[in-house]
Amino acid sequence: MIQLHNVSLAYQQDASALNNINLKVGKGEFVFLTGPSGAGKTTLLRLLYGALTPTRGQVLIDGQNISRMTTFQIPHLRRSIGVVFQDFKLLQSRTVFENVAITLEVLGWGRADIGKKTMHMLKQMGIESKYNLITQRLSGGEQQRVALARALVNDPKILLADEPTGNLDDANKNQILAIFKEANVRGTTVVVATHDRRLIEHGHKRLITLNKGEIVEQMEKEENIDEYAF
Amino acid sequence: MYFLLRALANIRQNIFVNVVTIGTITLALLIVSLFLLVFVNLENAAENWSERVQVTVYFDRELTIQEQTMLRGKIKALPETSSVSYVSRDEALKRFKNRLRGQETLLEGVRPEVLPTSFEISLKRAHRDTQGVENFVASLKRVPGITEVQYGEEWVRRFNSFLNFMRLLGALLVGFLILAVVFIVSNTIKLTIYARRDEIEVMSLVGATSFFIKAPFLLEGLMQGLAGAIISICLLLGLYVGFLHNAGSFLTFNLVSSGLGFLPPEYIGGIILSGAILGFTGSLTSLKRFVNP
Repeated sequence: MIQLHNVSLAYQQDASALNNINLKVGKGEFVFLTGPSGAGKTTLLRLLYGALTPTRGQVLIDGQNISRMTTFQIPHLRRSIGVVFQDFKLLQSRTVFENVAITLEVLGWGRADIGKKTMHMLKQMGIESKYNLITQRLSGGEQQRVALARALVNDPKILLADEPTGNLDDANKNQILAIFKEANVRGTTVVVATHDRRLIEHGHKRLITLNKGEIVEQMEKEENIDEYAF
Repeated sequence: MYFLLRALANIRQNIFVNVVTIGTITLALLIVSLFLLVFVNLENAAENWSERVQVTVYFDRELTIQEQTMLRGKIKALPETSSVSYVSRDEALKRFKNRLRGQETLLEGVRPEVLPTSFEISLKRAHRDTQGVENFVASLKRVPGITEVQYGEEWVRRFNSFLNFMRLLGALLVGFLILAVVFIVSNTIKLTIYARRDEIEVMSLVGATSFFIKAPFLLEGLMQGLAGAIISICLLLGLYVGFLHNAGSFLTFNLVSSGLGFLPPEYIGGIILSGAILGFTGSLTSLKRFVNP
């Protein structure tokens, strides 16, 4: 589903953010991306949804080469990728419903279908009673769930999340993780960038550690989570 | 349809910003249209002034009725002629006396016979410029029986160069005004779009094509421009009805008593159209900066 071949990216000439990354993520996989701040986690995610193009190397999403895409193709790529941002990027002056519905409006759905699907999604997230509230009024955890609902409402092939549990309490973290797992079970490939150990310990399937723009460690893990000590 | 609803919803949700934008467009177009109003009226006044462009054919004797009708017919047959009137010796003396009112003693001993008779010819509008008058005089001189032709050469020349100067000045001023208006309006629109750049970003991140993102903004700009233009025309009409149309005597140097006219319909159409274009292109150029994949 996701393939990176010798990918390097430099924001400026001398300082490279990513260095010779090779990575393969199969369909239906659940991957954690970890590493210290500035390791290149966010940059890597941005490459995957076409916000950046690599300086060298190739990024393939579902067999399509992103660096060869035209400006008309990028939007279509993004429709199959749900993204949850570190800062949520919600529209603060719009309601919860409108924030989630925007994904479906872009796809050209009819109003009735949008209403149904959006409310269904909000119900799954447990925030259906807040559908008519301005997102500004919500707590951090609730905003996070709105962001998740927006990313998942069109059943994307890939879900990318950047520090999705940044400032949530444990109960919220577990709920968010459960939502990720559920999406994964339904066939969505999930990539979560985080340095939240608790999240990794509880949800860890495959772990990729980045440092200074390079992959320093890759770990596969089957069932017993507690054997890995962090 | 979706875009139209979206644009209307945007206007409703950002009512303050929209009022500011429409207000800016209104004021900007009001200034331009006020200027146009003055300019159009000055042009009209100049047209009226040009009635004074007159060509006179002199004769040193009284013409017989037959001669009068014959010559009058020949002059009228010239394409430039708008009207012809005969001034007899008695008439000429009367005018002379009028002009020297209070100093009639100077006219003692002046008998009508010393004064010339003449045809006074006024020209059609299109032929009142320097070149037109000269051509007309040349063809007049070819009419048998006409020898002496006079026209205020100097006056015609000066009047026409004054007119050209006025037009140039007006065009320059309108040009600068339009530049200023475009600059101010596009900056205002840029600010309103800047205030909503997060919306543009989110749309682009969930996979909206740039057309899909831009269309509501463009429609919004179009509606703002149209609203601004229509309001400014209404305000102008209000100003005009309120006090400008009485100020005719002041602006037209007492030459025409008919007062100031309002803008002709093609100008009004032009202002409304330019409002729409202003709003649309203002949005288009501002969007370029914020919509990128």
